[in-house]
Amino acid sequence: MLVLQSIVLGLLLGGLYALLAAGLTLYFGIMRVVMIAHSAFLILAAYLAWWMHDRFGLDPLLSMVVTVPLFFAAGVALQRLLLTRLRPATLTMMSVLLTFAIALGVEGLLGYAFTGTQRRIQLGYGSASLELFGARIAVVKLIAFVLAAVALTSLYVLMKRTRFGWALRATIQHRDAARLLGIDTERVAGYGFGIGLATAAIGGTALSLDTTIYPSLHWHWIGPLMAIIVVGGLGSVPGAAAAAMVLGMAQSLLQIPMGTTWAQTVFYVALFATLAFRPQGFFGGRLAQRF
Amino acid sequence: MPNASRKIVAVGAIVVLAAGILVFPSLAPNPYILSSGVLVLNYAVLATSWNFVGGFTGYISLGHGALAGLGGYATGLLATKAGMPSFAALALAGLLVAALAVPLGMAALRVRGASFVIVSIALVLILLLVFQSWASFTGGSRGLVVPRPFDLTRPEHHRVFYFLFAGLLGVALLVWWLLDRSRFGLGLKSIREDEDKAEALGTPTFTYKLIVFVVSAGFTALAGGLYALWFGDLDPVFQFSILTGSYVVLMALLGGVRNLFGPVVGALIVGSALEYFKVEYGDTPLHLVATGLLLALVVIFMPDGILPAIGDLFRRFDRTRRSSIREVTAAELRDQRKAAV
Amino acid sequence: MSLETHELRKAFGGVTALDGATVSFHEGKVNALIGPNGSGKTTYFNCVTGMIRPDSGRVTYRGRDLTGKAPHRIARAGLGRTFQLCRTFPRMTALENVLAAVPQGGLRSAKAKGDIERAMSWLTRLGIEHLAESEARDMSWGQQKLLELAGVLMAEPETVLLDEPAGGVNPALLDRIGALIRELNAEGRTFVIVEHNMDLVMSISDHIVVFDRGRPIAEGPPSVIRSDERVLGAYLGV
Repeated sequence: MLVLQSIVLGLLLGGLYALLAAGLTLYFGIMRVVMIAHSAFLILAAYLAWWMHDRFGLDPLLSMVVTVPLFFAAGVALQRLLLTRLRPATLTMMSVLLTFAIALGVEGLLGYAFTGTQRRIQLGYGSASLELFGARIAVVKLIAFVLAAVALTSLYVLMKRTRFGWALRATIQHRDAARLLGIDTERVAGYGFGIGLATAAIGGTALSLDTTIYPSLHWHWIGPLMAIIVVGGLGSVPGAAAAAMVLGMAQSLLQIPMGTTWAQTVFYVALFATLAFRPQGFFGGRLAQRF
Repeated sequence: MPNASRKIVAVGAIVVLAAGILVFPSLAPNPYILSSGVLVLNYAVLATSWNFVGGFTGYISLGHGALAGLGGYATGLLATKAGMPSFAALALAGLLVAALAVPLGMAALRVRGASFVIVSIALVLILLLVFQSWASFTGGSRGLVVPRPFDLTRPEHHRVFYFLFAGLLGVALLVWWLLDRSRFGLGLKSIREDEDKAEALGTPTFTYKLIVFVVSAGFTALAGGLYALWFGDLDPVFQFSILTGSYVVLMALLGGVRNLFGPVVGALIVGSALEYFKVEYGDTPLHLVATGLLLALVVIFMPDGILPAIGDLFRRFDRTRRSSIREVTAAELRDQRKAAV
Repeated sequence: MSLETHELRKAFGGVTALDGATVSFHEGKVNALIGPNGSGKTTYFNCVTGMIRPDSGRVTYRGRDLTGKAPHRIARAGLGRTFQLCRTFPRMTALENVLAAVPQGGLRSAKAKGDIERAMSWLTRLGIEHLAESEARDMSWGQQKLLELAGVLMAEPETVLLDEPAGGVNPALLDRIGALIRELNAEGRTFVIVEHNMDLVMSISDHIVVFDRGRPIAEGPPSVIRSDERVLGAYLGV
């Protein structure tokens, strides 16, 4: 019973991990940037959802109307105004520091604006739950999963079916060749970052539904997410999604014998094992070897 | 600048720096200021230790705070649980952390940059998790009390540790300097410049990186252990804080990672500023914002640090070198050429 | 025979870059590796020098198996190489660039007198000794190409692999590089050169191997290669 419950919860959690890891993979693919601030923006979006609910009584899901375009613009600005200023030779290292600095800034501003107090959205449907094959699943968790699944599917369709997606994939795979084909790779890279950050907005909204948030929470997310993209093979979106599902499930199942805190270590164990034995990742990323 | 006068300036700067550090305790008006001095020196050792990896190989670690924390806990645990004499515990802690750095480095250094940073951050997060949760062994959030090695008054205690930190700093600087002028150091620097090229010239890049990472971890652990003996109380939240690592990176980068004294200068600036703001404004989330902002500014505008920036300023006034100033360098040309393909 | 490969294969995803390349190069000669763009020459170089691991096949040098060895081991076995887009250590001086080729020796000074003299003599031989104290990034393209070569030679390799030594180089410098290769060859060094400039290849090589679609299709001295129809066909895409 408990196991079934854990499996379902693991699946739901894995969905959110997959969405967020997809964003990170996108940045890495486009510019070889490890975007440490991704989860800080995740928490920022959750705070905005909480704030709008607290202040105006808005449903958290509606906050996305504001946060998604806002984050998209922020992502484009981040790429165009900041990351392109770094020297190409040291881009990977320096971009880590830069995005790390942004993460610190976001965390600090959240602490300043909303204090370190833990926040939680009280929803009318917050305590509702469904029975699914005998497992009790909170409705909000289901909503969060659906949100992540829809976003991830849209991302997939965008990448595979649209002209922009074609240009983005071309830019990721071979920048010089893409330029030869007449693709404005700079602009595409900027939009790619915007989309990546928009996924953080969606993820943050999903997170805010059933999680208690506080400014330093993003550190609890960035570790697992980093582990996921390494295990998935840096730069591979399907790899990251698969790794997210597997590790999310493992975390959820391990919580039964080990408790919530120790269960988190599964991510780090997976990270070290991957780097020690199979640095290119377990799901066929092509880029990892060189970076 | 001619070579000889440059050397005089350098030696003069070293003498002033060393004299300043050594004279400080007798000038400090009260024990609190002196203890701030100890903290700043602690940061200077950490930043210099970090610079073994960051400066020579260009691999940036955000996890050195965790290595220091590990050194602190190892010292504390060896002293309390195993009943070892304080400084024997410190020495053994340094060795243990250096030994642990071998498998860590093997996982983190096999592939290029990005994975290294990821591992370094993961190290902080996982150690925080473990040391908080394993309360029966580490004391958890209640903290671990480390016995003081000397029976001294507070001001005397601070003074002794001030000089111990200064000594450790001296040793770290000496080793960095020795590496800097050695063949091993040149190999490391060639890794920083172009790792594939270094490897193709016959440099065993992985082994080199691993060795220097272990050395760096050892010094960092010693600094952390010394801190534990000085402060006497360890809490996982502070020992395994991602902030320590970012302060250290900020200091080294601000001072300049290619210079022997860059990290020390950075630590003096940032460390003093941190202590000052703590006194004036207390602990606020704005610390984070200021650190983040400063780090971003350094990364974007001054990636080579303050010392080289000052050097450039000098050079601008120096006419003899004007002939070598070119509009575009060959490296930039190549980037442009690549971009145009 | 010095450098040999047997049935070397390498695919990137679905693209076969090397398709069973069995080649041997002649000791003490200037060997050239030519072929149309995308015929696998650079991949071949990278497999031989350990930068890429071949999917299958064997690389031997003077009978020693080097397959899958780390690049620095291959370099120490006596194979030095340059890169297609010339690579130097941009923020090190020319002298340091050359000295970096003798990193063995641990804590001994990097600027030992003997090493400096040797490094300076290479810089002098390549005509860039006046730039010894300049950083590589401040040097021109041609100067950087010479510097890269000086670094490789400092390691005293018995066999030198040059990836496009003539790429982006002006005619005067081209003549100098050609003459230098012959000179160094006369002193006993074996060369393997990947090059597009046919004038250079035809004028300095003793033995030419032609690649097409990841494998050799012809080999022989310049006079033979010049009149080989398969070679012409490969270049014209027939």
